[in-house]
Amino acid sequence: MTTTRRNFLKHSLGTSALVSLTPAVPALFLNTSAHAAAARRTSDNILVVVQLSGGNDGINTVIPHGDDVYHRSRNVTRYQANQVLKIDSYHGLHPQMTGFKSLYDEGQLAIVQGVGYPNPNRSHFESMDIWHTAKPTGEGRVAGRETGWIGRYLDAQRAAAKSPKNDDELAALHLGAGRLPLALAADKTRVPTVTDLTAFKLQTRNDGALRRTIESATRFDRGSDNDLLSYVQHSTVNALASSAQVQDALRQYSTPIAYPQSPLGQQLRTVAQLIEAGMSTRVYYVSLGGFDTHATQRNAHAALLKTLSDAVAAFTKDMAHHGHDKRVITMSFTEFGRRVKENASAGTDHGAANPLFLVGGGVKAGLIGKHPSMTDLDQGDLKFHTDFRAIYATLLKQWLGLPNPEAVLGGKFGPAKVLG
Amino acid sequence: MSNTLTQLDPNRAWAAYEPSAKRPWNVARAAHLYRRAGFSANWAELQSAVKGGPQATVRGLMADAAHAAASKDDQFESQMNAMGRTMMAGNNPRTLSAWWLYRMRYTPSQLLEKTTLFWHGHFATSAAKVTKAKMMLDQIALLRRGALGEFEPTVRAISRDPAMLVWLDSTSNRKIRPNENYARELMELFCLGIGNYTETDIKQMARAFTGWEVRKGKFVFNRWQHDTGSKSFLGASGEFDGDDAVRIVLEQPAASRFIASKLVRYFVSDEPALPDRLVEPLAKQLRENGFVIGPVVERILSSDLFFSEHVAARKVRSPVDLGIGLLRALEGATDMYQLAQSLDQVGQAVMYPPNVKGWDGGRAWISSSRLLGRANLVGALTVGGRAKFAGGGLHTLARKHNVSGPADTVDWLLDLLVATPVPRAVRGELVSLLQGRGDEGKNLARVVSAIGALPEFQLA
Repeated sequence: MTTTRRNFLKHSLGTSALVSLTPAVPALFLNTSAHAAAARRTSDNILVVVQLSGGNDGINTVIPHGDDVYHRSRNVTRYQANQVLKIDSYHGLHPQMTGFKSLYDEGQLAIVQGVGYPNPNRSHFESMDIWHTAKPTGEGRVAGRETGWIGRYLDAQRAAAKSPKNDDELAALHLGAGRLPLALAADKTRVPTVTDLTAFKLQTRNDGALRRTIESATRFDRGSDNDLLSYVQHSTVNALASSAQVQDALRQYSTPIAYPQSPLGQQLRTVAQLIEAGMSTRVYYVSLGGFDTHATQRNAHAALLKTLSDAVAAFTKDMAHHGHDKRVITMSFTEFGRRVKENASAGTDHGAANPLFLVGGGVKAGLIGKHPSMTDLDQGDLKFHTDFRAIYATLLKQWLGLPNPEAVLGGKFGPAKVLG
Repeated sequence: MSNTLTQLDPNRAWAAYEPSAKRPWNVARAAHLYRRAGFSANWAELQSAVKGGPQATVRGLMADAAHAAASKDDQFESQMNAMGRTMMAGNNPRTLSAWWLYRMRYTPSQLLEKTTLFWHGHFATSAAKVTKAKMMLDQIALLRRGALGEFEPTVRAISRDPAMLVWLDSTSNRKIRPNENYARELMELFCLGIGNYTETDIKQMARAFTGWEVRKGKFVFNRWQHDTGSKSFLGASGEFDGDDAVRIVLEQPAASRFIASKLVRYFVSDEPALPDRLVEPLAKQLRENGFVIGPVVERILSSDLFFSEHVAARKVRSPVDLGIGLLRALEGATDMYQLAQSLDQVGQAVMYPPNVKGWDGGRAWISSSRLLGRANLVGALTVGGRAKFAGGGLHTLARKHNVSGPADTVDWLLDLLVATPVPRAVRGELVSLLQGRGDEGKNLARVVSAIGALPEFQLA
């Protein structure tokens, strides 16, 4: 049941048939050739990034219920040992994370503890930029021209590709309403943002002449010294081409798995559709916001963790159902954790080190690394012991098959023992 | 191009623009001025700008703004206030975007509204969290009053603004555990920019804002919660309160540079970014003249650099610029609730900025789905029939201005709509589209729809 459907698609949607749909662009992003099927292993692996924006309270996510300091520091926001989903006598998951708990029990969840970076920055934007660029403040980062760790990976893969035609527009895809995350910004590769796949097409109301005029008028080379104009022109041509192809790929998908109705659940369902359609997209990026819980955090934070846990669990089940579980890893991260001590508004303020989650059949399941000490703190915050760039390096090299993550990350990091 | 930009003499760049044979004052430059100083001009406004000359046109924009900022009882203000009161009664913040878009479409002072939108992106506060329509309207009114005035009173007022304090989780700020959020954003995003302060400055400054609270929707100073002790930040020490903090922050040389460069990016160029030495004369003007915004904006809009080839079409139109610009240029009217929703889908819901950093602008406005969404939006307003132009179809508008003949009509539309010439062959395709079968109004709608998908239309 696993590969039959993929194979069926490969046979029924041969490369030539796809090319004929949109002759202007190569169909390389659909992983349809026999050659591609033969070259499985890392060349077939997929990374799904779930960004938790606002700074998730990791202490109330992977809860050190066996630590008195936790209970003393959190009068209002704490959970008792009998409330948490127990992992062991010290650790437990937040009571709402039943989906994650099942994944943990099934050996599909890796909880990497104490993840962070030196000299932690407590500004949302700066710290998020550090995670996205994988570069500390000031280090080779030029305002407005910054590239992200995934973007640089995409550029490196593109440069290494043998065929010069390998202009793979959908090497990565961002799903969401917001702007393109900096992590996906690249010099050469343009990563599309897709808000709603059904709306991801040019609507011309069956007016063929209008459509042809738009397609041809946008394609003319502008031959201008205005970089912004060239950028917009190329982006427009790409948008028209990739939307036609995505619409085609979406027509084939069904699943018995019920996804939550949350935007995150629906976005992950779309990711599943695209993966099942045989797209060769290697990285998908989605976000969940609202973690900046300075005040009365208890209910809001619980709802967010439930949203995350339910959506990722449904997605992981669906991947297993379609036989993709061995080739898809979902990583969730956030820009920083929260202070150990709660504040006077029943919330928590910006902190530092935090747990990071990796989900899927390919991860080294279980707790990885120790929970950072609740008493040996850095300005009131947990100290990190695992640099997030070591995790990036491991995913880039061992999961996505990039030979030299050093070039992308600007130094040697890791490897971290996070994959199975 | 950026090479020549770096070679420009800063003082010459900001000297007044003098029309010349090489850089004549014409429809294209007048349209450029209106796209930047406002949202877009219609044909009559362009004609009168061309007749009046650049300096008089800019002076007119400034005078209109001064008048609009001061007036409380003219017809437009009364109409907007009445609509605002209706919204407050319903307390549905979702209608806020539509209300503001209506205002941008019909305001007699585009410059004041455009500058208010600038400050909204700067002191970016979202109704998604504030949830009270009245608080949001009060904040926008505060920003409009101060849009072109002295900066310091605006910052003092925004530091007490209930919407802002709710937005930044600072409605209760106690001396035993000061909330650092406001102090951080005051320096990082509102006044100085990152790198011009330390974490210690934040911690110390947070103490100055203790006791600044919101109760029952109003700002109150709770002296029992105010830390009266001595604080040290940004090289100053004393028993400072929040107003002292604002004053000390604005005394930093970084403040004038930070604000000047944001103004320049907003009104002049996304890319290339102007080098610091070109921004410096404007920063100096702010520093030496009480940090008043209006004169700097006027200097920018009447400058030689502003009307030069270096900055023409060097900005990406925001969704609001694009939607309101289309309506203003073509004298269009549409359902503002629907427009608000469409603009949200392509990345900009006014009153709902994505975060306290506001909208990034520039290339960040562009993505595949947003480009398709922009083209689809223009398509819906034109061939989709969602807008009326001069009270009817686009042919009504063309007739009103005595425009006829396929080539002349296409050129007229391009004059109104695009920031930089389209290739000859593209113009040819548009002319053919206009000559298609079917009635004139429908073909005009198809041409405007096609223009809406062009890269040239996405720029300002």
